Amino acid sequence: MEHMEHLEHTETPSDMKSQIWKTFWILLGLTVIDIALYFILLSYHSMLKNALFIILGVVKAWYIVGVFMHMKFERKMLMYTIILPMIFVVFLVILMLIEGDFTNKLRW
Amino acid sequence: MANSTTLSTGKTFAWGGGKSPFSVSYGKLMMWIFLLSDAFTFSSLLIAYGFIRYSYQAPIANTIIKPLQHVGENFVEEMKKAGLFVQDHWPAPELVFNHFPFIHGMHLPLFFVSLMTFILIFSSVTMVLAVEAGHRMKKDEVANYMLLTIIGGAAFLGCQAWEWATFIHEGARLDYNPFGPRSFAALFFIVTGFHGFHVFSGVVLNVIIYLNVLAGTYEDRGHYEMVEKVGLYWHFVDLVWVFVFTFFYLI
Repeated sequence: MEHMEHLEHTETPSDMKSQIWKTFWILLGLTVIDIALYFILLSYHSMLKNALFIILGVVKAWYIVGVFMHMKFERKMLMYTIILPMIFVVFLVILMLIEGDFTNKLRW
Repeated sequence: MANSTTLSTGKTFAWGGGKSPFSVSYGKLMMWIFLLSDAFTFSSLLIAYGFIRYSYQAPIANTIIKPLQHVGENFVEEMKKAGLFVQDHWPAPELVFNHFPFIHGMHLPLFFVSLMTFILIFSSVTMVLAVEAGHRMKKDEVANYMLLTIIGGAAFLGCQAWEWATFIHEGARLDYNPFGPRSFAALFFIVTGFHGFHVFSGVVLNVIIYLNVLAGTYEDRGHYEMVEKVGLYWHFVDLVWVFVFTFFYLI
């Protein structure tokens, strides 16, 4: 078999350029929302607020991985191979935030 | 389809051998696997941050100083006296990261990190535009966008160096933190340092690829896949920054 039988390349949409710029504006908008929310909710502390920021982060991650890293256009098989293990990380994030909060309650 | 394995039923199988079931090249697949493992590394650091952050009391609400207000030379001391930087409470990021290059004596909370975030997102865009130009085999366009990406990366590193210098100047060390809990400064240095090291490696890789593009290596090869692979790494660095930003400056 030849070394580079350049695969049946997964399709890149013809309007890729406009998709890139659209993603850029979405990411910029989300970052501005992030900062605005930080100042609006400055004196308010709760797990809900953290959840909000983490969800906004995950949405940004979705756009970066999906469009910039081309994942949206790859085979589903590749997508699941890379993304499914990250579910455990999300689980660990939630678990450790709750555990940290509990440590806090034990200390004070 | 000549290379794919065909069973006697005449049906082709994705996993039958002879072709990539993921429909990506070996190099790209390995880059993805590497990024997955790197994602675990960064996750462990950020999860450690989240845990330690929440085992301390929440930042004390700041009612003293508003954005754009004048701040004195001894800002950290003043905040300590005002009871905003104490041992039991995590420091509020807006009070720690409120400096901006060339502007002295003004409270500019999170302005500088917002700029850094913007720079990194923008360099991610120029990177993906380079990849897109590579699909069209436009050598000059790829080279220009790669150069812009390198400049963006270098600008980000410069910003980070400045931020570290400011932080150290205020007295922060790996084992000492003037803003409150000791682990705050240590975590800052380790996590942003590790991320900065990734940005640095990314810039080095980008420079190598840029030189190869100029030399026409990929033009001769017939495809710009190396640009895509390095692009994956570069976007990952941007992705990590999204979470460093979320955890360090927002939560």
